[in-house]
Amino acid sequence: MPPKAAKGEYIETDTGNKISRRSNIHGTQHIILGGKTVIQTDAVIRGDLYRLPGAHPSSSSSTTGDSGEPTPAPAPAAPNTPSVAVSIGRYSYVSKQAVLRPPSRLHRGVHSFYPLKIGDHVFIGERAVVEAASVGNHVHIGCDAVVGSMAILKDFAYVLDGAVIPPGMVVPSWCVVGGAPARIVGEVGEGYGVEGAEGGLARERYRLVGR
Amino acid sequence: MSRPFPYTYISCPCVERPVSDPSRKKETSPRKGSSQPAPEINDNDDEEEEKDFDPRSPRANFSLYPPEQLLYCEDCHQIKCPRCITEEIVCWYCPSCLFETPSSMVRSEGNRCARNCFSCPICTAPLAVSTLENVSGSGSQQGPWVLSCGYCMWTTLDIGIKFDKPTNIRNQLSKMTESSRGRQMSRAYGDLKSPLSPLATAYSTVDGPEVPPDDGKPPADEDPAVLGPDARFAALKAFYRNQLSETSASPNDPLGTDFGAGFSSPGALNRIMSLYTSSTLSGLYGGNSKKSKPKPLMMREAQTASEGLKLAASDAEDTIIQRMASDDCGWEGLASSEQRVFQFPEARFVEDLLPLPTLLRTKRSKRCKSCKHILVKPEFKPQSTRFRIRLIALSYIPLTTIRPLAVSPSSGVTSSTTLLAAPTPDLNALQPLQPIQILLTLKNHMFDPVRVTLGTPSVTPGAVATKVTILCPQFDIGANSDVWDEALQASNPADQRSSRSGLTGGYEKVAEAGKVWDKGRNWTTVVLEVVPGLLERKTGTLNTKEKKDEEDAKDARHARDATSDGGWSDSDENETTPPPGHGLGLETQSSPAPAQPDEDVLEIPVFVRMEWDSENQMEQPVAKGKPEMVKRELAYWMVLGVGRIEY
Ligand SMILES: [Zn+2]
Ligand SMILES: [Zn+2]
Ligand SMILES: [Zn+2]
Ligand SMILES: [Zn+2]
Repeated sequence: MPPKAAKGEYIETDTGNKISRRSNIHGTQHIILGGKTVIQTDAVIRGDLYRLPGAHPSSSSSTTGDSGEPTPAPAPAAPNTPSVAVSIGRYSYVSKQAVLRPPSRLHRGVHSFYPLKIGDHVFIGERAVVEAASVGNHVHIGCDAVVGSMAILKDFAYVLDGAVIPPGMVVPSWCVVGGAPARIVGEVGEGYGVEGAEGGLARERYRLVGR
Repeated sequence: MSRPFPYTYISCPCVERPVSDPSRKKETSPRKGSSQPAPEINDNDDEEEEKDFDPRSPRANFSLYPPEQLLYCEDCHQIKCPRCITEEIVCWYCPSCLFETPSSMVRSEGNRCARNCFSCPICTAPLAVSTLENVSGSGSQQGPWVLSCGYCMWTTLDIGIKFDKPTNIRNQLSKMTESSRGRQMSRAYGDLKSPLSPLATAYSTVDGPEVPPDDGKPPADEDPAVLGPDARFAALKAFYRNQLSETSASPNDPLGTDFGAGFSSPGALNRIMSLYTSSTLSGLYGGNSKKSKPKPLMMREAQTASEGLKLAASDAEDTIIQRMASDDCGWEGLASSEQRVFQFPEARFVEDLLPLPTLLRTKRSKRCKSCKHILVKPEFKPQSTRFRIRLIALSYIPLTTIRPLAVSPSSGVTSSTTLLAAPTPDLNALQPLQPIQILLTLKNHMFDPVRVTLGTPSVTPGAVATKVTILCPQFDIGANSDVWDEALQASNPADQRSSRSGLTGGYEKVAEAGKVWDKGRNWTTVVLEVVPGLLERKTGTLNTKEKKDEEDAKDARHARDATSDGGWSDSDENETTPPPGHGLGLETQSSPAPAQPDEDVLEIPVFVRMEWDSENQMEQPVAKGKPEMVKRELAYWMVLGVGRIEY
């Protein structure tokens, strides 16, 4: 991620990602940002928690997150392609002090990490901790929410502030979850995600960053 | 309100229907723009006399919706809220494994996932199937399996249950709980059959077919605890169904028909046919030839365990009490009432709680309640997020966004110029009596240009009187063009907007009355001038009236509303606070200092009336050539949640 403009709080990458200089990003070579994604101050992304190569020759987790595939990785720095720990799609927004950590699981007696896939137009609130296996498009994760390991949030899922999503939970599309442990408490309206309305504010949010 | 500032809610016009006069000619076009600025106020006919919408009235809660939740019916030409629609189930699916369950299976097996999805009986989190042998190494996966909760760490081991294989857990569990003899309850945990299912096999858990018992047979005592709750329910249900069909075999029994053909179906046809041959009345009044029929059997209650009778042991309660009192139970060992709600009634202790198969959810299509046209039809597949039909209100009514304008001393604020040097006002701490300007942008999603008229009470209802002025209440919004155009130009208009209202642009540009602030292809921005009211001492703000005709008119109307029609919304708002209009002069005496919660929230009711010409495509599919243009009109109240007033 070569810095383009060196002034101001944000580094803007070639693909338009706006990354706060005061964010804590570890293991950048294991992180893919789809472009126009915002990472705010003190947000933590643990790209260093990737699956060790060779430990598991089999392909990645069996979870079928059909969330938006991020754009292909930039040319790998290392000769052998580093495994992806965190991938984030376009127009997603990681608020202040949010923590993104790849999920992990004890599999056949070995503790190993799995990639954290985050789709497009995703909002992650302040101080939220996300350890999901996959987060679909247009997902909203409220402030102080905790998304447990290997959880799957389908497109348009809505996590209320302070919710605690237990490990492995699946939140279907359009469902609103809240509480600790989180339960499905309702559904968003059919207009959710329309550009400019609730769930469709990602572009506007992106635009306002760094102005 | 739960949304962060600023937000917009829209009041579904259906809120007026209960109080509207049925003799009104226009049922669907809700209001005339009575609240638009004077002098047209008095032009409306008397029966259309309107009250300003009060977002604080308790009734408002039932009509205010976030815009994305509203639909629009193209036949009624009206906004439709969840109260204005009916729903039909398109498919059932499990929220955990996302598999569909056919509705026939839902009917027969109940609305719970038949696969491996369970929720924790302790905390409701989903349970995971995990193997016990995992820790020993990567060798065999053959170990016994358990259901475990990743949230509270409960496992089925806590109730002594292990599974031989990781599939078909539900069957394994029901077999286990059915056959396990050690547990007092839940012998036949069964499969939670839908109680209403006509297909529920009554005797699936009972040995052999039921013989209609001879009367007088004493309760069989051979095995006092044969049946678990589900099996017992099934047995009882079968028993009563049997009873009904037996006792209602006679056409004279009116009960037989009252219970519907679902019960006692074998005799149903018989009974219906005999209705024509013998009249019920003649039977009741001791008629003629039907006397020869044998007297119908009387209904009786279940008498044996296999019929579903369960006799409580004489010491059952003592046992429970002793168990509760014992040291190894304690408070922790007792099931909470929330936990017990979803379990069998006998479950009293944590050890009695069983994993619950996950409740299914539905995808639903939605219809307009009044004209039955379909408004929403999702794809059938559970995982799909697409819609075949989706008539959302946001495609018709303008999308509203509000944004505070950077405070600048030179802006057209009339009253005070001593402004603090805040670039944009903090919406969570609006300063009382300090005028702010708010940019209100309406974006048109229709392919026809729209003429919009906005109206607002000059003083917000409620105890905190905030003055509101729409600088340009009447304006046009351009038509929405092709989707591709919009996609290509997506970033342009907003960029203009934000640059103009940015720190540099804000000083140059001055909001003028009667002129729109900014305008784009399909959007228009106007300025709202807002003077937040004082929270504690309210007299000051209110009595310094602006010398504007429209406000005088509004105030007069306010007072009239409150006095003449008793204020349906005002009266039940709060016992301590008088209706806003009425209490203008009295508020010093009658409002106690700490008022209602959220009284400091500044919500501005705005009446929106839109007019446009559209092609009449609905009524006349035949008329080719020149499409007939029809004048359309839509009006509704919306509420702008601007911020919180500091005090
Ligand atoms: Zn309605
Ligand atoms: Zn399931
Ligand atoms: Zn639990
Ligand atoms: Zn309709």
